Amino acid sequence: MDTLKVRDAADVEQVVRSAIASKQPLEIIGHGSKRQVGQPMATNALLDLSALNAVTSYEPNELIVTVQAGAPIADVLSLIDSKNQQFAFEPMNTAALLGTPEIGTIGGMIGAGLAGPRRIKAGGVRDHLLGAHAVSGFGDSFKAGGKVVKNVTGYDLCKLLAGSWGTLAVMTEVTLKVMPRPESECTLVLRGLDDLTANRAMTAALGSPFDVSGAAHLPDSALRASADGLTSFGSQQAVTLLRLEGIAASVAHRAAVLGKALAQFGTAETVDDAASAAIWVSVRDVRPFAADGIFGARPVWRIVCPPAAGGALGQQLSRDTGGEVIYDWGGGLIWAALPSRPDALAALLRQRVNAAGGHATLLRAPEEVRRNVDVFHPQQAGLAALGERVRHSFDPKRILNRGRMRRDSST
Amino acid sequence: MTIMMPASDQAVLARREAIVAALRAIVPGEGVIDSPAEMMPYESDGLMAYRQPPMVVVLPDTTEQVSKVLKYCFDEGIKVVPRGSGTSLSGGALPLADGVLLGLGKFKRIRQIDFDNRLVVTEPGVTNLAISQAVAHGGFYYAPDPSSQIACSIGGNIAENSGGVHCLKYGMTTNNVLGCEIVLITGEVIRIGGKSPETDGYDLMGIITGSEGLLGVVTEVTVRILQKPETARALMVGFAQVEAAGQCVADIIGAGIIPAGMEMMDKPAIHAAEAFVHAGYPLDVEALLIIEIDGPGIEVDELIKRVEAIALRCGSTICQISNSEQERNLFWAGRKAAFPAVGRISPDYLCMDGTIPRGALPQALARIRDLSEKYGLGVANVFHAGDGNLHPLILYDANRPGEMAKAEAFGADILRCCVELGGVLTGEHGVGVEKRDLMPDMFSEIDLNQQQRLKCAFDAQGLLNPGKVFPTLHRCAELGRVHVHGGRLAFPDIPRF
Repeated sequence: MDTLKVRDAADVEQVVRSAIASKQPLEIIGHGSKRQVGQPMATNALLDLSALNAVTSYEPNELIVTVQAGAPIADVLSLIDSKNQQFAFEPMNTAALLGTPEIGTIGGMIGAGLAGPRRIKAGGVRDHLLGAHAVSGFGDSFKAGGKVVKNVTGYDLCKLLAGSWGTLAVMTEVTLKVMPRPESECTLVLRGLDDLTANRAMTAALGSPFDVSGAAHLPDSALRASADGLTSFGSQQAVTLLRLEGIAASVAHRAAVLGKALAQFGTAETVDDAASAAIWVSVRDVRPFAADGIFGARPVWRIVCPPAAGGALGQQLSRDTGGEVIYDWGGGLIWAALPSRPDALAALLRQRVNAAGGHATLLRAPEEVRRNVDVFHPQQAGLAALGERVRHSFDPKRILNRGRMRRDSST
Repeated sequence: MTIMMPASDQAVLARREAIVAALRAIVPGEGVIDSPAEMMPYESDGLMAYRQPPMVVVLPDTTEQVSKVLKYCFDEGIKVVPRGSGTSLSGGALPLADGVLLGLGKFKRIRQIDFDNRLVVTEPGVTNLAISQAVAHGGFYYAPDPSSQIACSIGGNIAENSGGVHCLKYGMTTNNVLGCEIVLITGEVIRIGGKSPETDGYDLMGIITGSEGLLGVVTEVTVRILQKPETARALMVGFAQVEAAGQCVADIIGAGIIPAGMEMMDKPAIHAAEAFVHAGYPLDVEALLIIEIDGPGIEVDELIKRVEAIALRCGSTICQISNSEQERNLFWAGRKAAFPAVGRISPDYLCMDGTIPRGALPQALARIRDLSEKYGLGVANVFHAGDGNLHPLILYDANRPGEMAKAEAFGADILRCCVELGGVLTGEHGVGVEKRDLMPDMFSEIDLNQQQRLKCAFDAQGLLNPGKVFPTLHRCAELGRVHVHGGRLAFPDIPRF
């Protein structure tokens, strides 16, 4: 397979135009850290963006950073960290879950659209992508959005690019919003709650005025896997985790009053700063289901559902399948590691998820499983057709990541 | 009217009576309005310089009726202009002479309040403020707060991606919407998103929000609600130079503080507001900042101190901190009344809405001052300084021949200046008809073509709200053509590995 290492947007245009002329679909990669996600693709050339790796500009006082799409995430994170800033959506690092090296580019981060625990408060990747330059499946460079936070000029094409898994356009440069990093953080830990009770505790916390920025629940059985940041909890009891962030005095105050408000759920312990941060990295990256851990061979589903329905859904799924679940977003995000089956138990899982009003993506599974299963949630016919027309409006010849998001068009 | 709208379809106009009758068969009783007198209130929206009676007004009250009306119009090739409360400041709901004006004013019911999932499911005609009021008993509110919130509808907020003074911290409409039911021009009803924190598939909610009524008609909305902050306090800070005020804004953000709101007014705006509401604003300053911090009391008190220190370091000549709700509201009163206050000192004014990088504020103000001299028209400036969103109010008198055109030219120059400084044409009011012809100043033809292709995915005949947003309309077939470049040799000059 050809790997075409582009040097600039003009190269990308040329590659896409050549691909149109020769009818060769392209697989778009940065570092390739998430190539195992999605339906297996029928492409025979790689468009490699990793050389488009410059930071174009970083303006801390404007709260924006503009980088080329192939810029390594790690470099950009450490750059903004040097000014005490962060991406508030807490991008997931998929290395542990997918078993890849510690790699990944900003373009891949946006294309995957996988936000971490703070999504419940700060929004997702889509809420922080302010502007982009990209090459469509027409082979044309276009601009979307701008470099300012407040902008309603024309359609908000950036929203579509986030989470589109490279199927609409090849981003070449993006502008992202950055936010101040909180001065301190604290995690309240409640122990021994079952999934339903934990869901209620998280709902109470998120419905309080105490500005909870993370709400996760790890059942004891999921804690059997050894995971950095979580080992101190042991695996005897489930833990329900509630994060508070901000200036130290405020965090301490809120921890005290929130703890009291949740007294009916038990006495909350507190974990501060570095240890707290380590917990949330582990939750964000779904470390208990890491590829090198005891659940590493299982398929992993990412389920998004109404938060207050999460406890019942997760409990039912683990009971019916013998799988393990982890809850984030106050119950609105469930990671499920189900026993290995040729269909990853897709039919059963989706039936339960649909009933709860959610949707599920098979984020990790062997290629032969992904070939037989809808990796992304099947949609109602009208919505699916509209989505397909939207895709067609960017890439009518299906040149870009052909078939990655839809099984029926993958061959 | 100085902007060209698409030519009226005479064949449609000739069939007006039959069209009215067909619409009456779908929406019975008073839901179809066709007398010139009764249609008058629909002739314009918040951009009142532009007026156009529609061919007919339809006010359906069910999704099924909306669907049938749209399908009828689609089958008959009739243009449709959707309208919420009609408060658009960019002419988004300006009717077409040969178009059906589809009003959503009867969709007035809040369908579900769900405190556990922190959301409200509502019909689109409910006002922005009514949502906050409906959930206040649970300690919640809906965060985006456009200044028209008492009147503007949530459906209109979706169409315009409305902002407000608090969107610096809490985001715009797009950041606070979870899902919708939308009716396409074909009459097809589609549900997007819902109670889950994230939609699946492509983020169509993100594209519908801010699409200015060009993609579909929203008949139900699910919005996120937030817990009201424990407390809020405001500072009123005056500066002898605009530059110092701009520096203060940058330093506050640079210190890692995101205020709930950070507003700036220049001298003419301060004087107009003070004369109108007597908020106690200093009259001897060139720039005034109103900065609000919200959250737990202990946090607000600490951050207020930090902001005060930054303001003093930047050379503020006056820095007052609110010590009561009454005082906080007084600080805001002048800012909130700035538009009507300016309305008192000038027969007419045009409200502009560009966004610039925060750091370019002093430059932008200097350019606006120069333009004011060049055009011989006064200007008062009100900004959402925290996010660089400018609202210059251009003062003019429509009764003087040529002055409105001059004011519009002045406004267009200000927006071009915003783009030159690295900003955009509109921060929260939308493109509509008002800024339509400036789009090429910000976007290339390729950029605009890609946006119009997306429009084609929703409305291939271009029947929904034509004449808004895009200066030039292309046929979808023409836009969809893929040009095959060069020969058959793939990737000739790209390094291979």
